[in-house]
Amino acid sequence: MTFDVARGEIVALLGPNGAGKTTTMRMLAGLIEPTSGSVTIDGVPLTRATGNAVRRRIGFLTEAPGLWDRLTVRENLRVYAGIHALAQPDRAIDRALDMFSLGDRSATRAAELSKGMRQKVALVRALLHDPAVLLLDEPTSGLDPEVTRSVRQLLEERREAGCAILVSTHNLDEAERLADRVAVLQTRLLALDPPATLRSRLTKGRVVVRIAGDLEPYLIVARSFDAQAAIEGTAIVVSLPEAERDTPEVVRALVNAGARIVEVRAEMPDLEDVYLRLVRDDGGRPEAPP
Amino acid sequence: MTSLGPLLMKELVDLTRNRMAFVPVVIAAAAAIVMPFLVVVAIPIASGHSLGSDADLLKVSVVTGIHDELGPDARVQYFLFQQFLMLFLLLPITGAMSLASHAVVGEKQARTLEPLLATPITTLELLVAKVLGALAPTLAIAVAGLVLYFAGIALAAPPGVLEAMLTARTFVLVFLVGPASALVALQAAVVISSRVNDARTAQQFGVLIILPMTAVLVAQFTGSLWLSAWMLGLIGVGLLVGWVFLVLFSVAMFEREAILTRWK
Repeated sequence: MTFDVARGEIVALLGPNGAGKTTTMRMLAGLIEPTSGSVTIDGVPLTRATGNAVRRRIGFLTEAPGLWDRLTVRENLRVYAGIHALAQPDRAIDRALDMFSLGDRSATRAAELSKGMRQKVALVRALLHDPAVLLLDEPTSGLDPEVTRSVRQLLEERREAGCAILVSTHNLDEAERLADRVAVLQTRLLALDPPATLRSRLTKGRVVVRIAGDLEPYLIVARSFDAQAAIEGTAIVVSLPEAERDTPEVVRALVNAGARIVEVRAEMPDLEDVYLRLVRDDGGRPEAPP
Repeated sequence: MTSLGPLLMKELVDLTRNRMAFVPVVIAAAAAIVMPFLVVVAIPIASGHSLGSDADLLKVSVVTGIHDELGPDARVQYFLFQQFLMLFLLLPITGAMSLASHAVVGEKQARTLEPLLATPITTLELLVAKVLGALAPTLAIAVAGLVLYFAGIALAAPPGVLEAMLTARTFVLVFLVGPASALVALQAAVVISSRVNDARTAQQFGVLIILPMTAVLVAQFTGSLWLSAWMLGLIGVGLLVGWVFLVLFSVAMFEREAILTRWK
């Protein structure tokens, strides 16, 4: 697979279990050596010699929060601040904790934190040294909606700040809301596009036009855009390869033909449909060697 | 080695919060203090037989060198107190063995290893911090025990025994051979810990490391082995050199990738 994540961009890595998402993340973090190919982080090629220099530029949220239970939140973070040789560790920790309103939890032992809190602290830890690149493995897995939203907001802020962010997720809704581009992985890269492009490239959008009165006269007009256009109840349904571009044309043609349009509704396939189709279509292919 | 400080601090804070882990070490230290005085002072008083009247003990005690200033009783006491000193050398090893055995595999099982390995730490820093983190608290307990041991000798033994104990040999034993042998043993335990995927297996292997120390202890007690200060000094330096090689070996044996991907 070949892909890049630009500064100020969020790319979501989607794929079924065993697709290689975590392995890809670990390779990018320099934890696993690629059997072939190369990784470049923030302009630095990742090699054994540059491993530590690259890891300084990365904030890696692992699948499990991985906090030391007997240490407090602050003590956990202080170890990482020390490793990153931050000049003012406590100030950096306070600032990072404030991002998630965790300031009042700094003296709490990690073992006493809820799952959501632990995940938040792990995220704070990944952000502590203000990395240029964020690698986040399932950042909102198992979190409640409120925490999920705060994580999403934080990632949007980091994107605005110019951070390159790669998020591995099973949550298609999250990928759709958050990601500038979506990479679909199944031991190899199946697709890499913005969500909208991915949808339009793989599936057609349905446009439902509800018209007052008799629909038959307008079906011919609709079929000039889609030969399979049909009447469904009080509406004509047209499938368009590029719904956003073509819908105004369809509406204009119908209005010119005298149709009294009551409602126009675009029914776009969601990312889940696209994802399932990509993965299903690839199912028959032989798996790439590990 | 910029990350060694924070990693070591983490190990020490983590261990101080796990006080139960030190209870066996404290019990062993207490036993190492009490047992010699039972054998050397209490039992002879209770039985009415002085140690100096035992011809075999007198004969064996000659191995320590001639101490004309000491009477027969004091000379045997000196000999026995010297032998029991070895227990304090074993304390940091036995006490920290389970901690060192657990070091890497424990982090892996707690899933705290991966985020740590994704930071700019070197394997050397990680492994040395693990060894020093396990050693420092148990060494401190052993040193505290030694202070009490010598205080007890000052109070309970005949005049001259304490002075005879405070020799270069004792200092080499306590401050060089003891810590150096502990470093070797614990570094070996960390190597094992980074090669097995279960803490129990690591500990089972770790126990084997104290066998050579026990052999030396037994040989000393029977009087068949008495190492001079020079010999001990050489052994201490040899152990430190061995530790350095073992550190390099443990770094070479530490496979980040295998630990992360093949261990479950």
